[in-house]
Amino acid sequence: MEAVVTGLFVGLLFGFVLQRGRFCMNSAFRDAILLKDNILLKTVFVALLVELVGFSIMDMTGAIAINPKPFWWGANLLGSFIFGIGMVLAGGCASGITYRVGEGMVGSMTAVLGLALGGYITAAGFLKTFKGNLQAATTISGADGKALTLHGILGMDYTTLALILFAIAIVAWYFIARKNGEEYEVDKGWGWITTGTLVGFVGILAFPLSAAAGRNYPLGITAGWINIVQTIFTGGEFNWIGMLIIGIIVGGLVAALIAKEFKFRVPKPLVLVQTFGGGLLMGFGAVTSGGCNIGHLLSGIPQLSLGSILAGVSIVLGAWAASYVMFVLPQKKAE
Amino acid sequence: MTDVTPTKTLDVCGKICPYPDMNTMTTLKKMEKGEILEVLLDYPLSVERIPRNLKKQGHNLLSSEQLDGPNYRLLIEAHGLK
Repeated sequence: MEAVVTGLFVGLLFGFVLQRGRFCMNSAFRDAILLKDNILLKTVFVALLVELVGFSIMDMTGAIAINPKPFWWGANLLGSFIFGIGMVLAGGCASGITYRVGEGMVGSMTAVLGLALGGYITAAGFLKTFKGNLQAATTISGADGKALTLHGILGMDYTTLALILFAIAIVAWYFIARKNGEEYEVDKGWGWITTGTLVGFVGILAFPLSAAAGRNYPLGITAGWINIVQTIFTGGEFNWIGMLIIGIIVGGLVAALIAKEFKFRVPKPLVLVQTFGGGLLMGFGAVTSGGCNIGHLLSGIPQLSLGSILAGVSIVLGAWAASYVMFVLPQKKAE
Repeated sequence: MTDVTPTKTLDVCGKICPYPDMNTMTTLKKMEKGEILEVLLDYPLSVERIPRNLKKQGHNLLSSEQLDGPNYRLLIEAHGLK
């Protein structure tokens, strides 16, 4: 019962913040090369830094015990690269297409169907064996049998390294921002510091609440969609992360209604096929790699998991490759 | 600014990310300096992102008008890169 309530609560907050902040990692990575627009990329960095500090303090005080994902280099590389391609086709990352269901984007509705189905057949269907074999064949664990982490490799304490990395990032940021003469821009939505900070705080809040419900991990998306598929089709009950998804959709809907931004937007039929196909690739990729852009990037990188860091890089490379083929090349040909 | 007569109208309602932005930019590239493009769109992210990136290309946003709900009408003066 408690899992249902706290999962839904965190989801509502997350969905509201995602919609108001226009937070989407697909846009963040793609726009950096396509439109030379870095606002969402900066939002992602702020969220990661806020979580880095939050997780490290909570781990130090015993409020949580970090639980970094394992290092499956082959599964991380392949799965996340395919996930990156998929999200460009789907027109949004896993969290992006989920909150946009609440905005009334029909293209995102077909995308999440693909994500749920692709995730399900890879987790429990005919691709389960392939995924399991790839993960097992490419696992590298630490000497103590634990998941490889940055602090583990350096022989350091998690909190110490997390705070050192935070300090380095802030100093580097200060110099880069001063060199570029950056200004804090505020749009009709929220500015990037506001959005990034709020996303980070939702991630911090999620960790102990999810752990209390028996799932020792912060935010995730794909596992939640799989839980929803299983609950509907094979019986069972909604767990914390399944409720999180329902919360995100309702939170996105509420935020969109308040801002008068709800509307059923229906793209051409072929686009619906494209976003569904993108969703399928995302579901396969996320389950193979052990996480989507939220599970690996937003939740795993601040825990300094080497698998999540590799997956994050691979998602970005996949998104860039797909953006290049889909958008940059046609533009060059036209010129 | 609504009294300006647009040279061309581009309706990108219902399009998924990033097509509203891409179509606007490619259309503007083909226009002469001083011509006005009217863009009709309903995607909140692009309502903010298009004005932000227009300046980099040298185009000039004349107005951004909320019609109803998420439906917006942008009027853009082309820079004339043709």
